[in-house]
Formats: sequence, structure tokens, C-alpha cells
Amino acid sequence: MATKEQAMTGERKHPRRPLSPRRRRYWLSLGLAAIIGGVIGGWMAADRGAAALVSNGPVSESFAIGTSIAWAVGLAICMLVYHRAIDDHEERAWLWAGLAGWYAFIFPAPVWWILHRAELAPPADAMLLFLLSMAVNGAVYLWLKFR
Amino acid sequence: MNNKLKVLRAMQGWSQAELADRLDVSRQAVNAIETGKYDPSLPLAFKLSRVFAMPIEEIFDDGHEGAGDDR
Repeated sequence: MATKEQAMTGERKHPRRPLSPRRRRYWLSLGLAAIIGGVIGGWMAADRGAAALVSNGPVSESFAIGTSIAWAVGLAICMLVYHRAIDDHEERAWLWAGLAGWYAFIFPAPVWWILHRAELAPPADAMLLFLLSMAVNGAVYLWLKFR
Repeated sequence: MNNKLKVLRAMQGWSQAELADRLDVSRQAVNAIETGKYDPSLPLAFKLSRVFAMPIEEIFDDGHEGAGDDR
């Protein structure tokens, strides 16, 4: 018997065709990103002091170099595969989310910086701005993709 | 932009996932087009036209009557 959602969307179980090259690339990019995130997260948990992401505390050299390479190179590879794999709808969600994330950085960053120069605020924290930008990016992407 | 995608899909007896497979897009993309939350790109509109074997203007309606008559 069909569920309420299935009745509304016309969704029902059917023998799925094999993954198309586009969908294979899509899941490959997500899988790679998950592996990189898992490696960084696991390493972060294992490394002394690294677990506090929003912190300027010291981390080991190996952790700093390793995660920097994993983030910069790994993310670049994932993005290349991802952008070759996404459909129009996801591309639109991604572009608007990217723009929203960019705005979430360029609006507060100079404000915080100039307020600090007048001693009205603590020093600007790049990681907090990064996390804000990523949070806005993620929220807009999920809303446009799944609403 | 209005469209008849949901009706056309139902006439074929396809689920959103089946149509998405035929178009090689995500099910969310089909749902977004059907609910009018997203207007497809021209290449995707042509793909839809081929899948349903009908002209684009019979699938989509931009609300302009007699488009092209105002030349």
C-alpha cells in the first residue's frame, strides 16, 4: 500500500536502472568528501588540542600539514568531480547557496574588523566567519534542493 | 512558469524517480519543476520535450497568449 508521500509524489518502488555516469560521478564526489571529512574528523579527535575547532590553540605540525593538504587538494578534487556530475537544479541551489555564503562573509567581516580597530569588539575571528559562511551556505543549499 | 509535467508523467504511469532516471536528473529536480519552484534550463526542457514526444510549448506555459504575434 502506498504511503501518503508516495501517493503525493507518485513515488513507488520500481526496479532502478543502473547508475548513469553522471550519478556515478555524483556519488563518487560525495563519497570522497565523506572520506576526507572522516579522516580529518578522526585525526582531529586523536590530535592533542585540535578537537576545539574554533580555537587558536596549538596543533601538531603533522596534523596541520596533513589536514591542510586533505582540505585543499581533496576538496578541489571533490569539487571538480561534483561540478561535472550535478544536474541543473542542484547547480542552481549550489550557486545561490554559494552567493548567500559569500554575503554571510563579506557583510560581517569588515564590520567586525573596523569595530575592533575602534576597540569596540574583540579581534576578528576568521574561523567563526568561516563557520558562519558555511552554515548559511549549507542552509540555503538544503532549502533550495529539498524544499 | 506553469507546466503539465505532473499530468504528463501520470499519463505515462511513471513515478518522479522513473522520470528522473529518464532525464538523468535527481528526483528533487523533477519535483521542483512539477511544483513550479524551479524552471528547467533550455537543454533540460528539450530533454523533457523528447521524453514526452511533444513540443516544449505544450509542456510549459509562460502565461503569454499568442507569443510571437506581437512582431
